[in-house]
Amino acid sequence: MRVALSLTVASLKMYFRNRQAIFFSLFIPLLIMVIFGLLDFDRFSGAQVGVVDEAGNEASAAVILGLSNRDDDLMDVELGTLAEETERLQDGEIDAMFVIPANFAEPGGPVTLSATTDERSPQRAALAITLLGQSIGSLGRQITSTADGADPPSAADGPPSFGTIFQSTLQGDDRSYTAFLVPGIAAMSIMQLGIFSVVFALVQFRQQGVLRRLKAAPLNPAQFLFAQISTRLSISVLQTLILLLAGMILFDLAVGNGDVLSWILVMALAVFGGILFVTMGLAISGVARTEEVAAPVTNLISMPMMFLSGVFFPLDALPGVVTIVTQFLPLTFLADAIRAVVTDGAGISDIWSELAGLAVWTAVVFAAATRLFRWE
Amino acid sequence: MNKEVPSGVARRSGDPIIVARDLRKRYDGIQAVDGVSFEVYPGEVFGMLGPNGAGKTTTVEMLEGMRYPDSGTALINSIDVTREPMRVKRIIGVQLQANAFFDRLTLSELLKLFGTLYGHRVVAADLLERVGLGDRGKSQFIRLSGGQKQRFSIAAALVNEPVAMFLDEPSTGLDPQARLNMWDLIKGLQADGTTVVLTTHYMEEAEELCDRVAIVDSGRIVALDTPPALVAGLLETGFRNERPTREATLEDVFINITGRALRDE
Repeated sequence: MRVALSLTVASLKMYFRNRQAIFFSLFIPLLIMVIFGLLDFDRFSGAQVGVVDEAGNEASAAVILGLSNRDDDLMDVELGTLAEETERLQDGEIDAMFVIPANFAEPGGPVTLSATTDERSPQRAALAITLLGQSIGSLGRQITSTADGADPPSAADGPPSFGTIFQSTLQGDDRSYTAFLVPGIAAMSIMQLGIFSVVFALVQFRQQGVLRRLKAAPLNPAQFLFAQISTRLSISVLQTLILLLAGMILFDLAVGNGDVLSWILVMALAVFGGILFVTMGLAISGVARTEEVAAPVTNLISMPMMFLSGVFFPLDALPGVVTIVTQFLPLTFLADAIRAVVTDGAGISDIWSELAGLAVWTAVVFAAATRLFRWE
Repeated sequence: MNKEVPSGVARRSGDPIIVARDLRKRYDGIQAVDGVSFEVYPGEVFGMLGPNGAGKTTTVEMLEGMRYPDSGTALINSIDVTREPMRVKRIIGVQLQANAFFDRLTLSELLKLFGTLYGHRVVAADLLERVGLGDRGKSQFIRLSGGQKQRFSIAAALVNEPVAMFLDEPSTGLDPQARLNMWDLIKGLQADGTTVVLTTHYMEEAEELCDRVAIVDSGRIVALDTPPALVAGLLETGFRNERPTREATLEDVFINITGRALRDE
């Protein structure tokens, strides 16, 4: 144990004396996070509205047409069922949900609509309601002018007047873009650190002959590998802490429910994911014997995960066929688990499927590493 | 870590400290070592000479526990290297042909780390002093010159006060001053009573340092004796050097002009 500990301390020293390594593994993810977070892609888009059309008649079609057929890009309309749109609203994918009740504007039918908005995006929600009011207003003028002489729907005797909007708000989950991004970047840098720093350190040690010199010493390979892994795990935890703290300071990110348990769980995930990706690095270093080979091989493995595991944008932005595969990527499991803990305050019981996915991957990669890893 | 410090246990002159018995090793379709046997006695500097690819390094690596022989026995201090490589590695000192150490650690840190690997507490300053690097404790290995690197790798091989040292071509690639300095260092080890196995392809080096030499070719020992005896044996066959014997060599001229002082620090 003393040997493994000394080796760990030594390689931590080596790591922190390597400015380049610190720059690439600690600073770059932070930089990416800040840049993407400040760009905040959300802000530039108009209001996202989900419409539930329970009427399916001429009047409802007219309302929807009025909402979607606009020259400006102020509103994006999508149709769906009540359940679908409610979930989307809760997940923060839309800013407002309009429900057009059955028999809307038909004789004897209801003439009111309900609008539920996400209180986290008040401006866009307000915009959506205003646009809805405009759309219904013109429809109301049409109806009153064509149905002249007929019973004016909803007279002054109490019932709501035509086109009244019942508003309610809903506290959606914290799914702002930065709340999505920060856990994703944290997961990505755990992967990058695990794979890259292990592969390049080992390839270099092997090429320089450091591994041969260690082989000449009475050193159990397990002690050496333990040191390699524990070094990376300590850095992984540190890096995850830095990224989350930066997210809190810069983007008002809330970690879990603000309790210590969520922090502990995230750190545990950093360690768990770190083990998986460091082991993956050991396996790769067994295949890629020189730096010329190591660079493309590590990129080939990490790049697709970086873009297909829901680090920068949600997986559902990808075509359905692709997500069949990408939902099983190791980084997807890690990013989803960290995100669940950070943004939803999930506990272990909520992320067991991600944990199971990580465990299966770790077992597979460990088996590969024990077969592929070589001293020389 | 079980701490065994058997240094000095078997240093009764008469009992060999290193035994190679009919060692054989084949790889890449070549019989690299083809039945090598010899014994090295305590305090001896034993040279292994031979052209590149003769099997010197492979033989030494089998004694160091770095490679498993296909057949034959290797014993260090009566411990079977094949059966207990860890026990053997713990009591020997090894300098490899291409020596490399971790970047970004200082020489002192490296020596302490190696001490831990061998279960020995190390006074880095003393070890560095012993190999003439007393003032370089805070330097990094990559900042050293070729000769300093070789001397440092000897210091690293000394962390466990080894009963036997294996030096693989310690002076290859060094300038004449650094080589003379290396010779002084090895003579110092010999004076301290350390057993040394030295591979080289410099005959002059072997003649200067070795008590006995084995000449290896194509994986076999083709001659084994003290340098004077080997020379005498050759002369007995009627061999005469074509070149006239000179009182000085070009190397003497070089050293006389440029001096013995090391240039690398």
